[in-house]
Amino acid sequence: MKRYDLIVVGAGPAGLSAAIEAARCGMKVAVFDENAKPGGQLFKQIHKFFGSKEHQAKIRGYKIGETLLAEADEAGVEVFLNATVAGIYLDKEVLVQIGEAMTHFKADTIIISTGAAENMVTFDGWTLPGVIGAGAAQTMMNLHGIKPGQRVLMLGSGNVGLVVSFQLMQAGCEVVALVDAAPRIGGYGVHAAKIARCGVPFYLSHTITKADGTDCVTGVTIAEFDEHFAPIPGTQKHFDVDTICLAVGLSPMSQLLKMAGCTMVDDPKRGGQVPLVSENGETSIPGLFAAGDVSGIEEASSAMIGGRMSGLAAAAYLGFLSESDKEKRLADLEVALNSLHQGMFAPGSKGKTVAKTDEGIAVSQSLLKKGYLEDTDLERFVHRSNQTDKNSGIHPVIECTQNIPCNPCQDACTKGCIKVGKTITALPQIDDASSCTGCGMCIAACSGQAIFLVDEDYAPGFASITLPYEFLPLPQKGEQGTALSRSGQPLGIAEIIDVRNAKAFDHTPLVTIKVPAGQAMTARFYQPTTQAMEQ
Amino acid sequence: MKSINDRSRNIGSFVSQLDDTIIICRCEEITKGEIRQAIHDGMFTVNEIRRYLRAGMGLCQGQTCGKLVKYLIARELGVIPDQLDPATSRSPMRPVEMKVLGNEEVTHV
Repeated sequence: MKRYDLIVVGAGPAGLSAAIEAARCGMKVAVFDENAKPGGQLFKQIHKFFGSKEHQAKIRGYKIGETLLAEADEAGVEVFLNATVAGIYLDKEVLVQIGEAMTHFKADTIIISTGAAENMVTFDGWTLPGVIGAGAAQTMMNLHGIKPGQRVLMLGSGNVGLVVSFQLMQAGCEVVALVDAAPRIGGYGVHAAKIARCGVPFYLSHTITKADGTDCVTGVTIAEFDEHFAPIPGTQKHFDVDTICLAVGLSPMSQLLKMAGCTMVDDPKRGGQVPLVSENGETSIPGLFAAGDVSGIEEASSAMIGGRMSGLAAAAYLGFLSESDKEKRLADLEVALNSLHQGMFAPGSKGKTVAKTDEGIAVSQSLLKKGYLEDTDLERFVHRSNQTDKNSGIHPVIECTQNIPCNPCQDACTKGCIKVGKTITALPQIDDASSCTGCGMCIAACSGQAIFLVDEDYAPGFASITLPYEFLPLPQKGEQGTALSRSGQPLGIAEIIDVRNAKAFDHTPLVTIKVPAGQAMTARFYQPTTQAMEQ
Repeated sequence: MKSINDRSRNIGSFVSQLDDTIIICRCEEITKGEIRQAIHDGMFTVNEIRRYLRAGMGLCQGQTCGKLVKYLIARELGVIPDQLDPATSRSPMRPVEMKVLGNEEVTHV
């Protein structure tokens, strides 16, 4: 039986982070993962992450995965792939299926970071081929380069549903609608706005009543429902689709912890059956830890911090790290974790209605119900005195209206034009004293794609708008297409006057369009002519 | 004994529903109606449903239907899902072929 100081189950963001910290303290560490590739969900995450510099904000998920793997390798962590942990027994003995054999391992500490599984909902036809989890759609697109379908309906407007919908469109699928049973969009407003300006409608307080088809999905019917969850007659809507994507939450895969004998609790706020853990992730069994989604559904950034905390706590438990060093390092990580746990989407405020931002501005109801800011919202957010008074010359317009933990825009501007301040959930402010050079770094740094550069005086009667455009094919300079509003409505002809794709933009090309001056504050997206003709 | 496990409790008689033919456990092809009938037959816990119908005993080991079955039981018994005991977790966590399970490296420390 092979022995280790620490066995980690699951090579996702939490598990790898834990293994790296423990190995750096001098521990002999093994990581088991049942998948053929390490990284958990990280390599599917092609979007830029939120947070602050210390949380690796504005870095794309798969890049973070690559960094973690390199760090694990350097620290001497042994990663076993295609290694399925089948059981966990008394005195930290672990049974692993590797290839065609069952092998026993033993460790003095164990960290379980097995992540979560997707929830399902049932409706007439839900077992038809073509009904898939949002995670499955992401795996097909981003790991295997396969389009899940041509026309897709997404159920669930949390961040997973929103992010995957956008990625489906990037892959060339048509997303016909986003449906959610809740009366409000669950995820970040900036994610919703990216989809809304492509013209995708949101149907809230709606659910799927039927998937059509005999051998595979050929259509779907949704309906609005009343307070007793009964469909309201006459509200049915039908869509011709070949794919129905479900993004209706995650459940922790905590069975190993339960099997080990940890005290478990059923906590709907954390996603279901979770272990009772200390702030460092230690369970009721000394030396056995849980990190990441398995101990409560959150996201990758907090999973990585939680993993590092568990790794350090495990090292201290075995004496590889002094108590004082542990306390010091954990305190730093706690600060980083707390900063992610602030704002309107903090784990504690799940399901709560927030009427005002921390700045005291009434939140946009339109953003919560339709996925985009109404022109009336602009008065409160975009035209507020600390946003900008300017209406001439090139300047940034920041449509970031919810308190979310994110601040890369602040560091992106070398002129010091954008300020978020110490609290990373604060809404960004624009310093009028600093002059904008139009470099576009802020647009590319904004993980929510909510920054635009506007020049009302581009030419007599015309304004220019520079916007993030993460779609292929890239438009060409001189080409003409359609300017779309925040709700995806066509406004008129837009001419491409510049396309920039610098390395520093990290795959977020910047497209500058020329529109009539009156559309400077309404045009927010560009649709090529070919695409408009197809629809 | 938890009061929700009290079998003498009257939960009313089985009334068929329009969507009883919907499959809940895909691996073992168990329908909503079969699970609701089993609850009325006296199966009040997730473990009992598993043993009685094999729902959650297939290839995915209840990963997909676990929560769905739990919610069905809760609704039929008129309790909150969190009050129900989850299914037992035991090795092997994932389906393992018998020839592999028997191919165990046995060394003594």
